[in-house]
Amino acid sequence: MKALAEAAVDAALGAGASYADARAVTLRRQHVVTKNLQVDDLSDSESEGIGVRVLVDGAWGFAGEGRLDEAAAREAALRATAFAKAAPGRHETSLAPIDPQSGDYRTPLERDPFDVPLSEKVDLCLRAEEGMRLPEVKVTLAMVRAQREHKFLVSSDGAAIEQDLFECGGGIDAYASAGEISQIRSYPSQHAGVSAQGGWEYVEGLNLDTEAPRVGEQAVALLSADECPSGRTTIVLSPEQAIMQVHESVGHPTELDRVYGTEAAYAGTSFLSPDDLGNLRYGSPKMNIVSDATTPLGLGTFAFDDEGVPAQREAIVKEGVLRGFLTSRETAARIGAGAGGSMRADGWSRMPLVRMTNLHLEPGEGSFEELLADVDDGLYLETNKSWSIDDKRLNFQFGTQIAWEIKKGKLGRMLRDATYTGVTPVFWGSLDGVAGADEWQLFGLTNCGKGQPGQEAHVSHGAAPARFRDVQVGVSG
Amino acid sequence: MSRALDLAEEALRAAEGDEAEVLVHAERSGVARFAGSVVHQPTLIDNAVIRLRIVRDGRIGWASTNRVDGLADLARRAGEGADQARADPDFPGLAPPAEYPDVAAFDDETASLGPEDQARLAGVAIDAAGDFELYGYFTSGVTEIALASSTGLVADQALTDANALCLAAVDGASGWAEQTHWRLAEVDPAAAAREASAKAARTRGAGKIEPGHYAAVLEPYAVAELLRWFSYDSLGAQGFLEERSYFCGRIGERVFDEKVSIADDALDETNMPKPFDFEGTPKQRVELVEDGVARDVVWDRGMAAKAGNGRVSTGHASPDAWRFYGPLPTAFSMAGGNAGSLDELAELVGDGIYVTRLHYLSVIDPRGGVLTGMTRDGTFRIRDGKVAEPLVNLRFTVPMADVLGEVRGLTSEPLLMNMNELYDDRFPHAARVPALATSRFHITGTGSGPGI
Repeated sequence: MKALAEAAVDAALGAGASYADARAVTLRRQHVVTKNLQVDDLSDSESEGIGVRVLVDGAWGFAGEGRLDEAAAREAALRATAFAKAAPGRHETSLAPIDPQSGDYRTPLERDPFDVPLSEKVDLCLRAEEGMRLPEVKVTLAMVRAQREHKFLVSSDGAAIEQDLFECGGGIDAYASAGEISQIRSYPSQHAGVSAQGGWEYVEGLNLDTEAPRVGEQAVALLSADECPSGRTTIVLSPEQAIMQVHESVGHPTELDRVYGTEAAYAGTSFLSPDDLGNLRYGSPKMNIVSDATTPLGLGTFAFDDEGVPAQREAIVKEGVLRGFLTSRETAARIGAGAGGSMRADGWSRMPLVRMTNLHLEPGEGSFEELLADVDDGLYLETNKSWSIDDKRLNFQFGTQIAWEIKKGKLGRMLRDATYTGVTPVFWGSLDGVAGADEWQLFGLTNCGKGQPGQEAHVSHGAAPARFRDVQVGVSG
Repeated sequence: MSRALDLAEEALRAAEGDEAEVLVHAERSGVARFAGSVVHQPTLIDNAVIRLRIVRDGRIGWASTNRVDGLADLARRAGEGADQARADPDFPGLAPPAEYPDVAAFDDETASLGPEDQARLAGVAIDAAGDFELYGYFTSGVTEIALASSTGLVADQALTDANALCLAAVDGASGWAEQTHWRLAEVDPAAAAREASAKAARTRGAGKIEPGHYAAVLEPYAVAELLRWFSYDSLGAQGFLEERSYFCGRIGERVFDEKVSIADDALDETNMPKPFDFEGTPKQRVELVEDGVARDVVWDRGMAAKAGNGRVSTGHASPDAWRFYGPLPTAFSMAGGNAGSLDELAELVGDGIYVTRLHYLSVIDPRGGVLTGMTRDGTFRIRDGKVAEPLVNLRFTVPMADVLGEVRGLTSEPLLMNMNELYDDRFPHAARVPALATSRFHITGTGSGPGI
C-alpha cells in the first residue's frame, strides 16, 4: 500500500502538481443490530481504495479510485491533476510548513473486536433487549459495531505514515408508546450509542445488559410524565447532553475552514472571525475547552492527521476566551497561527476537511450533587433527542429524552419533551459550574456530517455535568 | 450487459448453493465544490460496491466489498453472518423476478462529462454571480444499480444526474438557488447563480421580528426540506409500524388542507426516475396524502410482511446506508395549485413572512410531526401582500399539521429540488414540489443574519 501511495504522488508530480499526497486505505466495518428480539442487521462491509490530493498552481484536485493497484493509483493522480488544472477561480493556496514526518501507530487494545465471535455479539444484544421488554415498550433495539481503518499516507512534503485504527461501540434504545404519546430512552447516548477507539473490552465495559432494565422503565415512565414547562430557569446538563452543546456550539464554529466560508453552502459558516483569536469572550471564566487528538479511547485519536501533522492537545477556549481554532495546513497558513492537525477524511473517497478530533469541556470542581445543591428551582436534562443550530452557530435549540425538576437542590419529578434554546456566547456566558474530574465522561459519536460530497467524521467529546443560569426552556410548536 | 450487472452475476455465482441476492451500486462522478468563487474541494470518485445477502433457513447475513477479486471472501463473510443470525419469522423471502417499467433516466451528454467539464460548468456559475461571491457546487455523475438473485431476479439501471447548487453571498447578504435534473440540458448553472445573486441583493440590512405565529410563503426549497424531515418518522412503514408516525391512527382521515396532495412517484420522468428499488421490487406511485386525507406510507418487502393483511411492497426499499431507517419516499411529487407566481402567494399571505430555504432541521416530536430548524439565505417580511424588508434567519418550531393545515395557495408549476446530500454511495433523488402559502408558521426565535 505504501508503494501505491508513493506511485500516486510520483504520478501527480510528474503531471505538474507542486504538491501531492495520497492515502491508501482499507476499511472494514461490522454491525450487529437486534430489534424486538430478532436479528435486524448482521453485516460486514469492507472498502479499499486510494485518494490522491494535488495542488497545481494553487488549485486543489482530488480523485479517489476504489481499487488498490498501481494503475488505479496513477489514474487517480492524473484525474486529480487534470481537474486542478481546469479549476476556475483565483487560487492562492499555501500550506503551513511541516517537517517531514514518518512513523506508525496502532490503536492500543486488549481484544480485537473482529476476533469476537458474531454469536457473542448477537447474544449481548439480545440479552440487553430482554432487559428492556415491558408491555408499553413497542420497540427495543440493541446495536454493537466494530471498525478497522488501516491507511498509509505519503506526501511530497516527506510524510510516510502508517496508521491502524480500531473502533468499537454499542448502545440500546427503548421506544414506548401509548395513545398519542411516543417516547424514546437510550443508553449510553442517542445516535447509535457510543464508540471508542479500542478493543472489545470497551463494549463489555458499557454494561448494556445491566443498564437495560432502567432504560425500559424510564421509557415507560415518560409516557405518564408531565410535559416540560416553558420559561426561563437554571438548567444542569448531563455529560452526554453537555457534549452535544460542545460539539455544535464550540466545535463547529471553531473549524477555521468554516470561519473562512468554505462550508457556507451546506453546513454553514461561523459567528467567529479570524480576528477573534485571543480576544473574543466565548463564555464565562468556568468555560475551558481543549482539542486533544491524544485522548485515550477518543475516536479522534491518532498519531498524525490526514495531512501528516502530528497529534496535538491545545486550548480552544481558556477561562472563557477564544484561544485556538481547529486548523489545516492551508487555514493555519492563512491565519498565520498553528500548523494544522485537524484534517480528517471519511475513507479513501473523500478529501480531508478540517474536523473535530476529540474536543472536551474540561472538568471543574465538586460532585454532581454539589452542582445541584446550588439550584433552588431548575431542570436537569439528560440524553440528547433533537438538535438544531443556525448556519453561523449562534441560535440553537436542543431537546432531551428526559428531564427532572430540580427543587431546592434535589431532583424531583420526571418531565418529558424537554427543550431549551439560546444564543451561543450568551449561553456559554451563563455557565456557572462544571462538576469535577470524577464526574467527567467521554462519548464517541460517529455521525458528524460536513462537506459536499458529505463526510461523516467520528469524534469524541468529554464533559462533566454543567450548570447554566437563566435559560429559555420548553419551546413548543 | 452493464459492468454492474456483470459484477452482480459474478458475485451471485460465488455464493452458489445459497439463497442469495447481490446488489451492485457503482458510481463515476465529479463534484466541483466552490467557495468565495474558487473551486476548493473537488472530488472525483470511481467505485463499485458489491453487497451480498445470504439467507439460510430464514437467517440473513449481509456483507459488502468493493474488491472485485474478493467475491469468495464476500460469500464467506455473508454466510458467517447468516449462520449466526436468528431466523426471522417475518422474512418474506427474496424478491421474485419482475417486469420493470421502462423509464428514461440516462442521458449520454450528462454521462460524458469529465473533470474538465465539471470544473468548466462550476466556472459558468461563478462567472454569472455578478457582484457576489459564489458558494456551492456543480456535480454530475453516472450511477449504476444492478441486482441479481437466486430467485432469478435480474435488474439493471443506469442513472445520470447533474446539479448546480448556488449560494451567492457577501458579508451581510446571501441568496440561494439550485437546479437539478437527470439531463444536463435541463440544468443551467448560470441561471441558478443569477437567481441566487438577485435574491442575495435584497437581503442587505436584515432586521428582526418578534416570535409568534405568522402566515408565510415557503419556496419549493423550503417545502422539500420540510417533507424530507417529516418523512423520516411519518411517511415510511417503519415509523408507522413502530408508532412514531404522525399518520398512526389517521389513515383515511383529513390531516391537511384539502389543497394538499402528496405522492411519491419515481416513475415520473420529470423527477429522478427509477424502475425498481434496492430489493428489485418495481417502483409504484404511492399516494401519501390526497386532497388533505392521509392515504398511505411507503413500504418495502420486510415491513409489508410484518404488517400482514395482504400488504405488499410499494418498491421503496432503501439503499444500504439508510437500511436502518426502513423504507422512505425518495421521489416526492406534490400537486401544484392555482397561483401563477410567488408574488401571488405573497398577496394571499398579506401580512407575514417569506422563506426561501431552511437549515439544520430536527424532529422534536415524531408522533406529533413537530419539526424545528432555521430559515436562511432569503427571509423577508411580507406586508400588504408584497415581499418587503429582509429578515435575519428565524428559528421555527412547527407541527406539520399547522404548516399544511391551512394552505392559502400553491404555485401551479412544481419544481424539482435535489434531495441528495452526496453522503455514502451516490443515489440521485429529488422532490418535485410547488411553493405554498400557509396560514401558520410558528417562529420561536431569531438567529444570525444573512451572509457569510
